[in-house]
Amino acid sequence: MTRVLATLLSHYRRHPGQLIMLLLGLWVASALWSGIQAINATARDSYDRADAMFDTQLDQLERRDGTPFSRTEYHSLRQAGLPVSPMLEGEVVTQDGTRLTLIGIDPLTLSSDNALAQVNTSTSLSDFLSPPWQTRVAPDALAALGIEREKASGATPTLKDGKTLPPLVLAPALPPDTLIMDIAAAARLLESGDEITRIVAAPGALSETPTGLTLTRATTLASPGQLTESFHLNLTALGLLAWVVGLFIVQAALGLALEQRLGMLRTLRVLGVSGRRLVIALSLELILLGLIGALAGIASGVWLARLLLPDVAATLGSLYGAGVGQELNLPWHYWVGGLAVSLSGLLLAGSGVLWRAARLNMLELGQMQAWRSGYRRQLTLMGIGGAIALSIALALYAWLRFQPPGDGLVAGFGLIAALLLASALWLPPFLALVLRTLTHLVRRRPLIHWAMADMQLQLPRLSLAMMALLIALATNLGVGSMVGGFRLTFLDWLDQRLVAPLYLNAPTEQYADIDVWLADRPEVFERLLTRRSDATLQAATTPEGSRALGTPIELYGITPGKSLTPHWPLLATQQDRASAWAAFGDGAIFVNEQLATAENLAPGNRLTLSAPGANETLTIAAIYPDYGNPSGQVLVASPQLAARFNAPPSSMGLVLNDDANVDALRAALRERFVLGSDALSDQAGIKRIATEIFERTFTITRALNVLTLAVAALALFASLLAQARSRRQQLAPLWALGVPRTQLAQLNLAQLGGAALVTGLLAVPLGIVITWGLVAIINVAAFGWRLPLYLFPWEMAVTLATAVGVALLAAALPTLRFWRASPRALLAEEANQ
Amino acid sequence: MLELHQVHKTYATPQGPLKVLENVSLRLAAGQSLGLMGESGSGKSTLLHLAAGLDLPDQGVITLEGQNVASLPEPTRAKLRREQLGLVFQQFHLVPSLTVIDNLRLQARLASRDDADWSGYLIKRLGLTGMEKRYPEQLSGGQQQRLAIGRALAPRPPLLLADEPTGNLDETTAGEVLDLLLSLVRETHCALLIVTHSLQVAAPLDRCLRLRHGRLLDATP
Amino acid sequence: MSLRRMRYLLLLLIATGMLILYGCGDEDPAPTSSSGFAGLGEDADGFEHARPNQPLTFPEDFPQEHAAHPDYRIEWWYLTANLKDAAGDPLGLQWTLFRQALMPPSERPAPTPWAADQLWMAHMAISQGEQHEVAERFGRSHSQSQLSNAQNSQAGVVASPFHAWLDDWQLKANEEAASTDFNHLTLTAYSGEGESRFGYRLELTAEGPLVLHGAEGFSQKAANGQGSMYYSQPFWRINGDVTLNGETKTVSGRGWLDREWSSQLLDARQSGWDWFSIHFDDGQKLMAFQLRGGGDGSGGDADQEQGTDYRSGTWITPQGDATPLATDEIILTPLATSAVAGRDVPTQWRLEIPSVAIDINIAAPYANRWMTTSVPYWEGEVVVNDRASGESLGEGYLEMTGY
Repeated sequence: MTRVLATLLSHYRRHPGQLIMLLLGLWVASALWSGIQAINATARDSYDRADAMFDTQLDQLERRDGTPFSRTEYHSLRQAGLPVSPMLEGEVVTQDGTRLTLIGIDPLTLSSDNALAQVNTSTSLSDFLSPPWQTRVAPDALAALGIEREKASGATPTLKDGKTLPPLVLAPALPPDTLIMDIAAAARLLESGDEITRIVAAPGALSETPTGLTLTRATTLASPGQLTESFHLNLTALGLLAWVVGLFIVQAALGLALEQRLGMLRTLRVLGVSGRRLVIALSLELILLGLIGALAGIASGVWLARLLLPDVAATLGSLYGAGVGQELNLPWHYWVGGLAVSLSGLLLAGSGVLWRAARLNMLELGQMQAWRSGYRRQLTLMGIGGAIALSIALALYAWLRFQPPGDGLVAGFGLIAALLLASALWLPPFLALVLRTLTHLVRRRPLIHWAMADMQLQLPRLSLAMMALLIALATNLGVGSMVGGFRLTFLDWLDQRLVAPLYLNAPTEQYADIDVWLADRPEVFERLLTRRSDATLQAATTPEGSRALGTPIELYGITPGKSLTPHWPLLATQQDRASAWAAFGDGAIFVNEQLATAENLAPGNRLTLSAPGANETLTIAAIYPDYGNPSGQVLVASPQLAARFNAPPSSMGLVLNDDANVDALRAALRERFVLGSDALSDQAGIKRIATEIFERTFTITRALNVLTLAVAALALFASLLAQARSRRQQLAPLWALGVPRTQLAQLNLAQLGGAALVTGLLAVPLGIVITWGLVAIINVAAFGWRLPLYLFPWEMAVTLATAVGVALLAAALPTLRFWRASPRALLAEEANQ
Repeated sequence: MLELHQVHKTYATPQGPLKVLENVSLRLAAGQSLGLMGESGSGKSTLLHLAAGLDLPDQGVITLEGQNVASLPEPTRAKLRREQLGLVFQQFHLVPSLTVIDNLRLQARLASRDDADWSGYLIKRLGLTGMEKRYPEQLSGGQQQRLAIGRALAPRPPLLLADEPTGNLDETTAGEVLDLLLSLVRETHCALLIVTHSLQVAAPLDRCLRLRHGRLLDATP
Repeated sequence: MSLRRMRYLLLLLIATGMLILYGCGDEDPAPTSSSGFAGLGEDADGFEHARPNQPLTFPEDFPQEHAAHPDYRIEWWYLTANLKDAAGDPLGLQWTLFRQALMPPSERPAPTPWAADQLWMAHMAISQGEQHEVAERFGRSHSQSQLSNAQNSQAGVVASPFHAWLDDWQLKANEEAASTDFNHLTLTAYSGEGESRFGYRLELTAEGPLVLHGAEGFSQKAANGQGSMYYSQPFWRINGDVTLNGETKTVSGRGWLDREWSSQLLDARQSGWDWFSIHFDDGQKLMAFQLRGGGDGSGGDADQEQGTDYRSGTWITPQGDATPLATDEIILTPLATSAVAGRDVPTQWRLEIPSVAIDINIAAPYANRWMTTSVPYWEGEVVVNDRASGESLGEGYLEMTGY
C-alpha cells in the first residue's frame, strides 16, 4: 500500500505545479468557508454577549428636572430601602487623541445575589475597590492607549491631561473603547466630586417610582436581536453558498489530479494493483492532502476574518450598539467543525474521482466510444436530477405558503438550496442543447462550427466549473441585491423614523407646557409628538368573522403632520395613501407588518384593543413596514392615543424652518424648562452615522463577493488546466491543417467567454430568484417581516462582465501556453499521443 | 512544386544539440510521388514538418509552389498549408467533435474550396458511405485513416504530405489504405511525399530517398 | 437605531463590567484551610491586634466600644433570636453586620468621594419550620467619613447615640433613650418585594448587663495566643413584627448580641468553628465554641501541622456574672450529621462541662439552615435537652463554619 501511495505521490515530484494547484484549490475553498464562519462565529458570540447584556439591562432613575444626583442623595435612596446603584460616566482622552468612555461603577450595589460572593473571598474584588484600583479594558482599546498586548496587564497609561489610569486588567468581553473602574477611581479621574451621572437598578427591582423621580424601565428597550439576526442570517447564507462553490473547486482540483495521472493509474492496474487497493491509496492521498489543505485553509480563513473583521466589527458595533471585538474569539469546536466540513466536502467531491478510478478501464480500448453515450446519459441524469430538485423547491414553496409566518426557516433555506441545485444541474444539459443548436446553425462557417462542436466536447470537463461559476454569480447577485435592498430599506426607515432634525426627550409632565411654548416659536415648523403605551389586542374582526386574540401589543402615537406623512412608507392601504392618512387622522389605525402577518390582518379589518381603562374597536387603514421590531405595533394618531388610551408622551420631534437657529432654540428650551444636556438630540447626526455604517457593510459584502468569484475563477482555471494537454492535442491538427495559432487562441478565448456569458445570463434571473428567496421567504420565515425586493441593473451588468472577465482570465494562461508553444512541442505531443 | 536546398535542422535537447537534418536537398515536381525512408530518428518526420511549414529550418531554403516558406509570416504559412497541402498523419488526427462528413470537409471549408460533389465522391471512394453522421471514434482504424486521407484531399491540394500513413494499421488494412491513397493521388494529379520505413509502401512510388542520421544517402535531386 | 438605544449602550457597558467582575472572582479559588475560614486566619501586618493586655473596662470604655474599630481587620455586630409568634410556633432570626478593612490604616486612600477603606456586609435570616429565608447586602465606607449624618456614608456604626446601618438595614438606639443607652434598640431589615418580601422590625430591651468573654474581653482563639476582643449582650427581650411570605405577624422572645473585633481571629491552621449560644430556661446562659485545628499542639508533628481543636466558653448567671471556661473544661461531641447543601454538617451535639455540671444534647430541629451567602455557613436555632433525662432545658443558636 505504501508503495502504491508513494508511486501515486511521485507524480507530484515531477509536476510540483499540479500539487500546488490541488492544494491551492483545497486551501482557497476551505479558507473562504472558514473565513466567513469565523466572522460569523465571532459576530454571533458578540451578539450573544450583547443580548445577554440587554437581558441584564438596568432600570434607570432620573430626576424630573434632569439635574444630576449627589452622593448623599444616593445614600438617602439606599437608606430608604431602594436597591439602586450609582454610576459615573465620562470621557477620557488618550495621548493619541482617542476618546474613550470611562465608566465608574460600584460593584457592591450594582450586582445582585451571587456577584456579591466575591466580597470576602476574592482578592480581585478588593483590588478593584482599593488603591491603586484597576482599569478593566477590552484588548481592542489597547492600541488607542499605545500599549502592546503583552505588556498590557498592570500597565498604567498616561492620558492626554497627564493623569494616569489605574493598572490595566484585560477583559475581552468588554465593549471596545470602554474603560471600567471603581467609582472612586473614576471620580478622581473625572474630577466629578460627589456627583453621580445616573442611578440604576436591576430590572423590576423598584416596585414603584420614588416621588420626584422618573423611572425608565429596562423592559421598554428594544433589543437589537432581530436586526442583528437578520444580518447574521445573510452572512450564514453567504457562508453556505461559499462552501458549495468550494466543493466545486475541490472537485475540479481533484479531477485535475486524477486526469493527469490516468496513465499511471492504468499502468498500476496493469501491473496487478487491484482496483480496491488503488481506491484505498487514492483515498489516503485525498485525506492527506485534504488535511493539509483544510488546516491551511482554516488558518488563513481566520486570517481573512481578521482582515475583514475591523470592518465587520465597526459595522455591527455602531449599527447595533453592540461591540464586536476585534479579537477573534473562536471556540475549539469551530476548529473541529471547520476541519470536519472541509474533509467531508473533500470526500464528497472526491467520491466521483474515486468512482472513476475504481472503474478505470485497464486498456483504453473502446473508451472513446463509451464516452459520448456516457456523457449523454450523464446529461439526462442531470436533467432528471434538476427536475427533481425543482419539484422539491416548488413543493417547499407550496408548503411554506401554508405555514404561519416566522416558521419554516429551514424549509426556506432548503428552497433556495434546491433552486440553486436545480439550476446548477440544468446548466450542462442546457449548455449542451444551446451548443448543439448553434453547431447546426453555423455549419457553413467552418471555424465557428468547429469551435461550437469542440465546445461540446469540452463541456463534460468544464461543466462542474461552469456550475460553480453559475452558483457564485447567482449568489453574488442575490446577496448583493439583498444587502443593497437592506440598505435602501434601512435608509427609508431612517427617513420614516427620523423626520425631525431635533428630537426632544423631556420629563413626561413637561410636554404639555413645552408644546404650548413651542407653538409660539416662529422657527418651529411642526411639532411631532409621539406617545407610547402597552395594550392588548383583544379581538380582530375580518370579513371571515371575529376572532378572540389576547396578544400583547405596543401602541405608538405619531403626529400625522406634513413633514411625516410623505416619508412614512405604507405596504398596503384600503384605497390610497391620501385616504389612509385622512382616515388615520380621524381615528383609524395602522398596524405594522409583523402584526399583520402574525394575525393575518388586512386593511379594513377592525381590531379591539384594550388598555388600562380603555377598550376601543378601531379600523385598520393601512399596514406599514417596521423593520427590526420584534413585536406587533399599532399606530394611532397621537391626539387619539392620548384621548382614548391616556398614553403618556414619550418624545417630540421638532421640524424647523430652514433659517432656524438650532442652537438658540436648544438653549432657550433648556433654559426655559431646565432640561438635561441629553434631552435634545440631533437626528441628522444619527442619520449620517447610520448611513456611513451601511456603506461599510457594503464594503464587506463586496469583499466577500469578490472572494467567492475568485474561488469560482480558480475552479474554472483548474478545470482548464486539467484539460490543457488534451486541448493542445485537439488544437494541433487544426493548426497543421492551416489555421493560424492566433486565430485558434482567439477562438479558444471566445469559446470560454461565450460559455461564461451564457452562464452569467442564466445567473441573472437565478440571482433575482435568490434575492427574492432571501427577502421574501427567509426573512419572513425568520422574523415575520419582508424586506422589499430591489434590483440593481448596473450591478447585474457589472457581474455579467465580471463573469466573462473571470472566464477569460482563467482561460488566459492555458491559451497563452498554447499560443507560445513551439511547433515542435505541439508536434511532439501529437506524435507522443 | 517543393524544393529543399541545403537544409539544416538542429534541436536543443537536455543532452546537448542534436543534429536532425544536415545539408539536405531534394526536389519534388508536380504530380510526382516521392518516398522518404529511414530508421526511427533518422530525421524523416522532421523533414516532412519542415516541408509543411510546421517548423522552420536553421539553414537552407525550402520552396513550396515558388514561395520561400521560411520567409513567410505565420498566417501566410497557415494559408499555404490549408490551400496547397494535404497532410496525413500516422495517428489520423481527426477532430473528435465533428462528424465524419464534417471532418472530411473541414479543410476544404477552411480553404473555401468546399465542393459537395467532390466530397460525396470521396466518401464513396473511401468506402464511408452511410457513416457520414458518425463520429471518428465510432470508426475502425482503417476507416479513420481513410477519412484522414479524404480530409487532406478534399480541397484538391497540389501536394500531399503523408507521415507513416499506415504505421498504425495492420498489414491487410495498411495495404488497402495505401492502394486507396495512391489511386486517389493519381486521380487528382497530386504530388506526394510519403515518409515511411516500409519497403512495401515505397515500392509503388516514383522515387525513393533514404535518410540516415540526418543525411540523404542517395543524393539524387 | 433610536437615540434611546444609543443611550442605553452605556447601561450595557455596566452590565458587562459586572460580568467581568464575576468572571474574575471565579478565577480566585475558595480560601484554603491554610488561611483559615474566609481568610480570617490571614496575616494582618499593619493592623491593630487584639491583645490580652488591653482589657475592656466598665463603664469607661462604653459606649465607644460599640462603634467600629477600623484599625482592626474584621468586626461584627451579630444578633440571633429565638422567638415565638402569636400562635406559639417557634421562629428564629439572625441579623449580622460585618466590617472588613480593605487595607491597614497606613495604606488608606485619601477620603475622596467614593474612596473606601472599609467593606461592609450584612446578613439577615428568618427561619420558621422548614422555611429559611436569607438576604445579604454589601456596602463601602471610608473610616474618615463624617458619620454624624448617616447620609454621608452607605454603612457605618456610631456609638452615641448607637446606630449601626447598611442601607436601610439598621440597628439603632430608641430615640427617647439617653444618647449613651445600649439597652433599648430597634432593629429594622427587609428584603424582597410583594409575596416574597420578608424582614422584621423589632424592639430590643436588655434585661441584663453586657458580658465580657475570656480575660476581660480578650477571647483567646488558639493555643498560640491568637484572639479577638469579644463581648455580648445575651439578655435581650424582643418584641416586634416579622414579615414572612408577605405576611406580618407579631413575635416575642429572647435574643443574643455578640460584638467581636480582631485582626487575626483564627490561627492559620484552623479551618472553622462550631459556636453555641444557649438560653437556659432557668435564666442561665452559656456561650461555647470550638475552633477546629490550631489547639495546643501536644501531639506529634502531624498534630502540629493539622492542629488540634481549641475550645472556649463562658458560663453566665442570670445576673450576668461570667465564668470563663478553658479548653479542657469543655467536651464537645458531634452525635449526628445531616446532609445540607452538599456537605455533611453535624446537627446533633453532646456538650459536657463538668465544672458546671452540664451534660446536654443540643439538636437543630431543622437542618436546612444553610446561609447561601457569599461566604456560606450554617446558622440556625437549636433546642437543648438534658442528656440523662431528656428533659427540655432551653434553646439557643448554633453557628458552624468551614464545612
